Amino acid sequence: MDTLRHLIDGFGVAFSPINLLIAAIGSFIGTVVGLLPGLGPINGVAILMPLAFAMKLPPEASLILLAAVYIGCEYGGRISSILLNVPGDAGAIMTALDGYPMARKGLAGVALSISAWSSFVGSLVATLGIVLFAPLLAQWALSFGPAEYFVLMCFAFTCIAGLMGQAPVKAALAALIGLSMSCVGLDANSGVYRFTGGDVHLSDGIQFVVVVIGVFSISEVLLMLQEHHSNAGLVTQTGRMMFNLREMAHTWWSTLRASVVGFGVGVLPGAGATVASAMTYAMEKRLIDKDNTFGTGDIRGVAVPEAANNSAATGSFVPMLTLGVPGSGTTAVMMGALALYNITPGPALFTQQPDLVWGLIASMFLANIILLVLNIPMVGIFTRILNVPNWVLVPGILAVSSVGVYAVHATTFDLLLMVALGVMAYLLRKQGVPMAPLILGFVLGPLMEQNLRRALSISNGDPHILVGSPITVGLWVCAVSVLVVPMAVRWRASRRAAAVA
Amino acid sequence: MSDRVLGAACVGTAAAMAWAARGYEAPYSYEPLGPSAFPLLLAAGLALGGLWLVFKPAAGAEAFRGVPWKATGLCMGAVLAYALLFETLGFALATTLMAVPVGLAFGGHWLRSLAGGAALGLGFHFLFDKLLDVTMPAGVLSFVLGGY
Repeated sequence: MDTLRHLIDGFGVAFSPINLLIAAIGSFIGTVVGLLPGLGPINGVAILMPLAFAMKLPPEASLILLAAVYIGCEYGGRISSILLNVPGDAGAIMTALDGYPMARKGLAGVALSISAWSSFVGSLVATLGIVLFAPLLAQWALSFGPAEYFVLMCFAFTCIAGLMGQAPVKAALAALIGLSMSCVGLDANSGVYRFTGGDVHLSDGIQFVVVVIGVFSISEVLLMLQEHHSNAGLVTQTGRMMFNLREMAHTWWSTLRASVVGFGVGVLPGAGATVASAMTYAMEKRLIDKDNTFGTGDIRGVAVPEAANNSAATGSFVPMLTLGVPGSGTTAVMMGALALYNITPGPALFTQQPDLVWGLIASMFLANIILLVLNIPMVGIFTRILNVPNWVLVPGILAVSSVGVYAVHATTFDLLLMVALGVMAYLLRKQGVPMAPLILGFVLGPLMEQNLRRALSISNGDPHILVGSPITVGLWVCAVSVLVVPMAVRWRASRRAAAVA
Repeated sequence: MSDRVLGAACVGTAAAMAWAARGYEAPYSYEPLGPSAFPLLLAAGLALGGLWLVFKPAAGAEAFRGVPWKATGLCMGAVLAYALLFETLGFALATTLMAVPVGLAFGGHWLRSLAGGAALGLGFHFLFDKLLDVTMPAGVLSFVLGGY
């Protein structure tokens, strides 16, 4: 009952004219950022976050803006997947498999509308999931002590390494680099300056905004150079613009299944929309694809990954809001945004700032409705944006990014650091090092160190406190199994392959 | 091959980190873990991961093949110059100038890039500085645009 009352209060916050406007603007920007190949939710949120802060938006408004951008990106990514065969963001990779063949058959309009609809269902299911589960999880997390928190973060990092697929070592290295970067600056416990090289600019540590923009905007631009594609494959013949009832009924169960599974994947720290859409696509293919039509333009193959990636994106808010451990790279950026406002997400947030939390959840409902309205009738406008040439788009991205970085402290030093970090990130990304763990490490670093030091202070330096409660032991078991199970599965698969050969 | 280079770079970074961190000591301490323990732990992890890559690089990692070096260099230089001149020239002018090399790198014509850059620079200056109240450096154009 409490939950319902809070949710109603939250709608009060979300329905305030300014927040409604912000949700609408965020949804629109998100869709645009999502559909531009190369830019994904993490870039969009990273570029807008410092601007929101510089415009002195109140915390709930800027959180609503960023959330709307995030969800909007998951909607937008599908448009270029379907029309160009180039996914707008990583979560929409699977959508291209069936979406582009559908577009080639003259069914682009149907693919676009059904995927907007399944995106809506996915997000809605996940938002309901947040309403149901987040308060419970927050309640439970209130009993966490420093040791539990430290182990929880270790679990988050093993999830990232374990689920990153081919390159767990590189993901781990990225997380360690991020954690190391978070050590720069004044150590609050001892008053010692660490890794500053005597430079005053670094005594406060490396600014979050600088890291995020350098890593996700500057390096992205350099990467885009190689991908610098022509719009030769753009399918402009969209045909019928709406799906019909029969098509909806045909995809209904797959959409619903993918939404539920996507939410579960999203809640796990580290595993985001990309994993969710790939996993549910494979799952549905195994379950329902009797005639092997997946990959040739099956309408269910469009609905499933879209439902899943939206659901996972929304689900990744759960660990951020309730535990203070972001579920995805994008929510890690949002957690950094909250830190700019001196707000620490975690279980106490639900009791101390209910307006913020429930206002956010309520506005996610609204953003979804706005996005559905934007994405079904207005899809033609968005497809025209695909014609913006890179030679003007990229300078625009660079200008907005630099404004964001400069606005926070107004120093050239931050801009130079941004470029340096961008080049470093470019080199790392070229070598297959993922950046989401880096940002997660950077955000969680101070918390992780504080909790470790606090836990060991409590126990007078006895490390047994890290395995001293059922929760810590349980989390360690989960952490180890996340690392070991995929390895075991791969080992079994390779043995079976060897046996067949 | 590139995995080995990356691994070695990680080991090097870890060594530098450990060397810097070994000296961090609190003047007076009331906690068992001082300011150097966590960085040392991270350095150990970094070194371990780096060594892994050195001894077990992914097969056939050719990450830098096919990179358009000229365009990438042009872009990097433009971004660096942009950062350096952002305050002195002011946002609008610096953006106009940055748009030319970046536009060229992305296949634009220099004149159109210049025009596009000027539109971006002035447009964003008015949008952010005047409308959204985000203070932007006006630089050498401050006599036209106002501000500092």
